[in-house]
Amino acid sequence: MHVSLLRPRFVTLALASATLALSLSPGRLRAAEKSATAPVKADGFAFVKTVGAISEYRLTANGLAVLLLPEHSAPVVTFMVTYRVGSRNEVTGTTGATHLLEHLMFKGSDAFNRTKGTSSDQFLERVGGNYNATTYLDRTNYYAEIGNEHLEGYIAIEADRMRNLWLREEDRRPEMTVVRNEFEIGENDPEQALDKEITAAAFQAHPYHHSTIGWRSDIEKVSIEKLREFYDTFYWPDNATVTIVGDFDPAAGLALVKKYYGAIPRAPKPIPQVYTEEPAQSGPRRVTIRRAGELGVVGLAYKTPAARHADIPALNVLASILSSGKTSRFYRALTDRNLTLNVSANTGYFHDPSLLNIYANLAPGATHEQVEKALLVEIDLVKTAGVTAAEVATALGKIKAATAYKRDGYFSIAGNLNEDIAAGDWTLYYTLDSAIAKVTTADVARVANLYLDLNQSVTGWFIPLTPPAAK
Amino acid sequence: MKFLPFSRAPRLAVSPSRTRAALLAFVLLSWSTLPSHAQVAKNAVREKIGGIDLVILKTGVKDVVTVRGSLAAGDALSPDTSPALADLTGGMLDRGTTKQDKFAIAQLLGSAGATISFSTGPSALNISARCLRADLPLVIGLIAEQLRSPAFSPEEFAKLKKQFAGNYRRQLDETDFRADDSFTRAVYPVGHPNRQAPSAEILASAEKITLDEVKAFHAKYYGPATFRLVLVGDIDAASAKHEITKVFAGWTGGVRPPTPAPAKPGAVDAARDQNVFMPEKTNISMIWGQATGLRYGDTDTLALRVGTAALGSGFTGRLMANVRDKEGLTYGIGSYVAGDTFVDGDWRITANFAPEMLAKGLASTQRQLTEWHTQGITDDELAQRKTGLAGTFKVALSTTSGMAGTILATLNRDLELSFIDQYPARIGALTKAQVNGAIKQHLDPEKMVLVKAGTVPGAK
Repeated sequence: MHVSLLRPRFVTLALASATLALSLSPGRLRAAEKSATAPVKADGFAFVKTVGAISEYRLTANGLAVLLLPEHSAPVVTFMVTYRVGSRNEVTGTTGATHLLEHLMFKGSDAFNRTKGTSSDQFLERVGGNYNATTYLDRTNYYAEIGNEHLEGYIAIEADRMRNLWLREEDRRPEMTVVRNEFEIGENDPEQALDKEITAAAFQAHPYHHSTIGWRSDIEKVSIEKLREFYDTFYWPDNATVTIVGDFDPAAGLALVKKYYGAIPRAPKPIPQVYTEEPAQSGPRRVTIRRAGELGVVGLAYKTPAARHADIPALNVLASILSSGKTSRFYRALTDRNLTLNVSANTGYFHDPSLLNIYANLAPGATHEQVEKALLVEIDLVKTAGVTAAEVATALGKIKAATAYKRDGYFSIAGNLNEDIAAGDWTLYYTLDSAIAKVTTADVARVANLYLDLNQSVTGWFIPLTPPAAK
Repeated sequence: MKFLPFSRAPRLAVSPSRTRAALLAFVLLSWSTLPSHAQVAKNAVREKIGGIDLVILKTGVKDVVTVRGSLAAGDALSPDTSPALADLTGGMLDRGTTKQDKFAIAQLLGSAGATISFSTGPSALNISARCLRADLPLVIGLIAEQLRSPAFSPEEFAKLKKQFAGNYRRQLDETDFRADDSFTRAVYPVGHPNRQAPSAEILASAEKITLDEVKAFHAKYYGPATFRLVLVGDIDAASAKHEITKVFAGWTGGVRPPTPAPAKPGAVDAARDQNVFMPEKTNISMIWGQATGLRYGDTDTLALRVGTAALGSGFTGRLMANVRDKEGLTYGIGSYVAGDTFVDGDWRITANFAPEMLAKGLASTQRQLTEWHTQGITDDELAQRKTGLAGTFKVALSTTSGMAGTILATLNRDLELSFIDQYPARIGALTKAQVNGAIKQHLDPEKMVLVKAGTVPGAK
């Protein structure tokens, strides 16, 4: 089973190969994407609002948020539940707990389990389709894209495990080593390892400090009681959003949601909110990893605002101009001059302030000093001389097309909505695109000067210890 | 932060290598992207235009078009002394043409939000593009221009050689790549398209290859004789055909490669248990398998695929259910049939293990493999795989890229388009005896090769 669409909404890549920059998938500009459907009246629900083609409701009994996007081009539906809990809700000793708990959510309950032949895996692999669960900094989601005749069966399982999960030590033990292996796979990759160190240096107080997979010792030692505490704190309807996209009737969809989620009570205590703010950084920071490897990596990370901030659109355009495709600044200045194999620039899209990351994979023969200097020269050039109207127009064209392509298919739509829900405002699904379309050269120059500040940055080097020789 | 979200279901446990990525991913995914109401053979337009095998399928998608193509110019056609020749030739396509430089082309595509990419696989050069409806003439025109008249600039060639070597060396850092790389040489004989040349030979050849050799390779193998082109999406077929006729007019050449002798399981004189030692790796990539001698269209292939799914597909497959879920020995393990689109392929189990879990993980995997091979799959497993595949077939409504990829794979498998429409019925008709017979007949654990790449305990 493949994982798809798990990145933040705007990821720009500059590749040395023939592949062009934006990670696009063919799109489907559906009529439903362009015009709103009328809200329905459903017993037990309060209508909240309609933006674009998506309507929001709230289950009055327990506060569960529901987003509906009916679209009838195929007899398929995607159902997704997003819990507003991620690794930002963890503290020392429980890092990685959100993710480990997500794994344990598939271990069964009294009603749905492997012994009975009714587990979520058994149900979903029998009916066919795509399903998975993912954990990230701000959220955890569970989803399935299935034939619409199986929607009720899946909602029943999903609603049941919101409160009735077994959470047994005998399941934690083998799952812990599974997750630890997932951690080890990530550690194998120099860029991932460097990213962890850079992020940890950038955030000293805020829980974005640690990666979603957590620290190894926490993965190994977090107890089932702690995981239960986590589950009992965050897995409640008033901390979740249900999204249904595809071929379903809105009134019938709401009725199913009420049937299976309606009896679940609200959280007994207020959901704890993260109040830690990262203190102001007062100078450049540096990290270094020396490890066996083939080629070096230089990383630069600059502090950026939260996803809902008004400067995020211009920062996305800036990242595109810097790194997207052969026309980008970094390609011309570094990759085309054989200093790098590729350079990427990504603007973080998260609930809290995060980072604009630049990663440069060194070409053979290039030094870290050379590459870091060349990156900084290009950044200074953007800050002092600005960008051209043509560059902005090209970036907007790419981002607009990427957005269209990313809405190809029901799960793709739900996956994008998932990140907007996590960011704290699902209407960003529409409003961010509109805002990006209005970005000007002045906006890009302004955000470059405001955010690409070395005093607010972390620079990281991955230095390979293996002599660069052909195997 | 750049790090990705973490998910319960792994990506491919062992991702395919440099030359196999597109191919293997495709084999695994191609049947999960079709609409239930496909009727591909009835609705698609298939014609020979200027020697090109062209398929156009208009779908209900609005505005978007996906283009996929292939041309027999893969690594297998590189001379033994220059294994990087096909790669370097394909790498020159997006570095400017005789009409305009690479920046001008990138600007045209970027402004339209369109993409074109070329990649070289074991058997073919692969072409992939996507655009909005209005930009299809631009994209088709640029594909033709880049295929037919690369600039072959010496300056760009020098850059390409350095970038090729750098990207290749970066892959040498990946345990997945190193396991796959060794596995191909352990199961495919010399001369088989799926056998990869040793890394040192590839890197040495990339340094030595001249621009004249690249030009000669291009002149010989790039042409309509083996070119397959598929367009899917919001297309007016008549105007697309007109455009293709115009931009490819007068193009000649291309050589259909000979069909290799199928690789016999166990035919390669290679160690059955191999280590690729890499220092300071926290995870080991494992591949365990054999050549099958089967192509996708062969009689037993679907039966073998269904049986293989029962062993190693999804969380209810035996490998994930036991080696991962019950015993906690790995994050990802699965079994696949791969590499059988153009030529005969292989069967493999792939897995990740921490060094300290390796021995237990291998023992557990072997138990599952032995039991599955000896006793076959059950009636329940067959029934579940049939409904699951049928459901996936219905669910996975076509994206334009999925449909285009499936059509191209069908052409590359030398099958008729009607095969796509018949797929659910073919799966549904399989019997347990056929599935278990295919497992017994085509697989032999005694002849399988085990490759482990990483910091393998006791290895150097």
